[in-house]
Amino acid sequence: MSQTSATTGDGQGDFKLAKERRAFLGACLGALLAAGAGAAAYPVFRYLAPRQKADNGQKVEIPEAELTAGNAKYFEYQGKAAVLIRKKNGDLVALSAVCTHLGCVVQWQKANEQFLCPCHGGLYTADGTVISGPPPKPLEKLSFVVANGKIIVG
Amino acid sequence: MNIRQLTCRCLPLLLTLLFQAVSVAAQNRPVCLQCHESQTGRGGAVVKPWQGSVHAENGIGCQNCHGGDPNDPVNAMDPSRGFLGVPGETAIPSFCGRCHVGIRDEYLQSAHGRALGRGGPTCVTCHGSHDVKRATLSIINEKNCARCHAYAPAAELKNAMVQTEKRIETIDERLKVYKGEGVDTEAREKALFSTRNRYHRLFHEVDTAKVTGESAQIDAELDKIQQDFGRINAERQKRKIIGAGAVSGAFLAALFFHLLRKTYD
Amino acid sequence: MSFLKRIYRWIDVRIGAGELVEKELTGYLLPRNINVWYSMGSILLVIFTIQVATGILLLVYYVPDADKAFHSITFIMNNVPFGWLIRLCHAVGSNMMVLILFCHMLSVLFMGSYKSPRELNWLSGFTLFLLVLALSLTGYLLPWSQLSFWATTVATNSVGAIPYVGGFLVEFLRGGKLVGPATLGRFFALHVVLIPSTIAAVIGAHLFFLQRTGVSTPPFGLDDSKNRWQGEGYRYESHPGGIPFFPNYVLQDMTSIAVYFAFFLGVIFFAPHVFFPADAFVPANPFQTPDHIKPEWYFLANYQTLKIFPSEFLGLAVQGAVTAFLALLPFIDRGAEKHPLKRPLFMVCAVGGILLYLALMIWGHYS
Repeated sequence: MSQTSATTGDGQGDFKLAKERRAFLGACLGALLAAGAGAAAYPVFRYLAPRQKADNGQKVEIPEAELTAGNAKYFEYQGKAAVLIRKKNGDLVALSAVCTHLGCVVQWQKANEQFLCPCHGGLYTADGTVISGPPPKPLEKLSFVVANGKIIVG
Repeated sequence: MNIRQLTCRCLPLLLTLLFQAVSVAAQNRPVCLQCHESQTGRGGAVVKPWQGSVHAENGIGCQNCHGGDPNDPVNAMDPSRGFLGVPGETAIPSFCGRCHVGIRDEYLQSAHGRALGRGGPTCVTCHGSHDVKRATLSIINEKNCARCHAYAPAAELKNAMVQTEKRIETIDERLKVYKGEGVDTEAREKALFSTRNRYHRLFHEVDTAKVTGESAQIDAELDKIQQDFGRINAERQKRKIIGAGAVSGAFLAALFFHLLRKTYD
Repeated sequence: MSFLKRIYRWIDVRIGAGELVEKELTGYLLPRNINVWYSMGSILLVIFTIQVATGILLLVYYVPDADKAFHSITFIMNNVPFGWLIRLCHAVGSNMMVLILFCHMLSVLFMGSYKSPRELNWLSGFTLFLLVLALSLTGYLLPWSQLSFWATTVATNSVGAIPYVGGFLVEFLRGGKLVGPATLGRFFALHVVLIPSTIAAVIGAHLFFLQRTGVSTPPFGLDDSKNRWQGEGYRYESHPGGIPFFPNYVLQDMTSIAVYFAFFLGVIFFAPHVFFPADAFVPANPFQTPDHIKPEWYFLANYQTLKIFPSEFLGLAVQGAVTAFLALLPFIDRGAEKHPLKRPLFMVCAVGGILLYLALMIWGHYS
């Protein structure tokens, strides 16, 4: 702390006391302000820091043999319902099974290879595209790889 | 034009605005209401109940159920425009089931659905038609059920559901509060909707054993949402503690600055 | 310490920093009876700085698009680490800025500091007040919630009561017949660039006037509290034998700022929802007016005034007249006496005006 200005202490003792007090208070304030600056800087840093991908590394493995042509396999992926289908032509598709309208789980209609939401009749193609009904968005696609007879989603 | 003048003269600002909002909505309003609102008989009686219904609340209008053209006053009720009119008794489940697909299927398999056309109840028997409300357990009551059969089996079913239903309602209330406080509840709202729907669908099979059997699964879903609530509350608690530290830090700084100033007096 | 002193000396010999410090800080003397109300301006400077800083941070994630704005704010509040804190600082800070501005202006009113030769200080300050209200109004729309949307509809609609050009003005303000994406675009530009930079410039002018006229003497604790300036010529009001700005009054400023921070952080951490009704968290829906739309607390009195007059134009005209009267107050109130207790007419008008304002505000809140 600067002590450029004169104090109005009466005697030498008063002056010395004020000076000591100032040094003490100045040190306290310095520490407090440094802590405050840190407390302000930390949230700003966290706010601006690149966000970590919510990649929990939780992959789901499904044996290829479990999925025959035209069938669907439901499983849980990152806490939400997901579905893997093998179309009659052999193509594999992995989708979130959560309807984009109000969150119900869509049902696989084997006969016409569509997804139907039981709540309000939202209809999707096997690729998740909306055909009719209230859903505002297509079903979310999930990435997957096929290796060693296993389908690995994630 | 003269309605506008009237509004300006008689009603204060807010009402003018409300009126404006209504007139905006009017541009997007089906023409159906223009005629039906002024009708006195059966035709007019449907408007008010619909306006208070869960359908109106979610923007489901006349044409969504009855078909027809909501933008053309002349041909609004032309079958060639898809107008369906009033469904016959046996057609009601498929009429409502165009949207409520899952419920329709469960219902058709149930004792209720199998008795369709032979005195069995249709959707509107319990839910009403135009004044349809968000379904709650109160629909299962002596007055409704005893029209056709003894209330005892229905009461048994209700008892099996009451616990879970209460939980669903509590969670729903909590979600509303959180939403009003800025918590992003969309995903949880959807999860709850889905669970509630699954539960209510289950009910339409009117099979007590099945309801009891699946309640555990439903409860697990609800547990997940409630764990989320726990996390939110813990986070809030943490913020309060940090806040207490920050506020006391500021007060402490004020005290030190004040004392330091005193040394210069 | 000696290293710091050497740096200071290095700068001093080059730009004469010592002379500047002597003139503007340690040798800048303030009246001995100066009080805590003189630190409101410093608090406001701090608030404005925080608003700019948090505003820039919000811009990092905010998307000024009617389809995405609400979602981007929800994302900031729920997903970005400490996003809730930055957003709350900005939103609560805007209310605090208006609140402290009221304190600043009221203290100037009661201590007669607006009197000549400080007309320009008052005028620039009043301009700042109006600009801050405009800043609040334009910022209110940006989250694109039900609250934003309908509050903006109400506010812009009142301009329509101006005869002849009202309709056009409303449409021009909104960029269309109704509040919509076009309104968001222009309010965003105003809120983020035009109004803040204008405020910064007017703050510069306000401080320049303060520097040229010198700090006013508070009327309290003096035998003679009359304004002695007669308009004879330019005179800097100096305070020989007064207390130095640095360190004495700077420490008072810092004390006030720290107390302000305690209050501000208290609201943010313990009552974050006082400024957020539930409609603030529902996305804007142009087809559904919420049940109770109310403007922010600092516009409640204006809102109620519009409602109580039989015609909107009259309500607007009265507000315009009151605003003009307040803006021109130093030209109207030319008495030399500065002590509020020795100005009975002023006291009656001021206290009556404040009570009326509060009454209208409360009435507006409950109506």
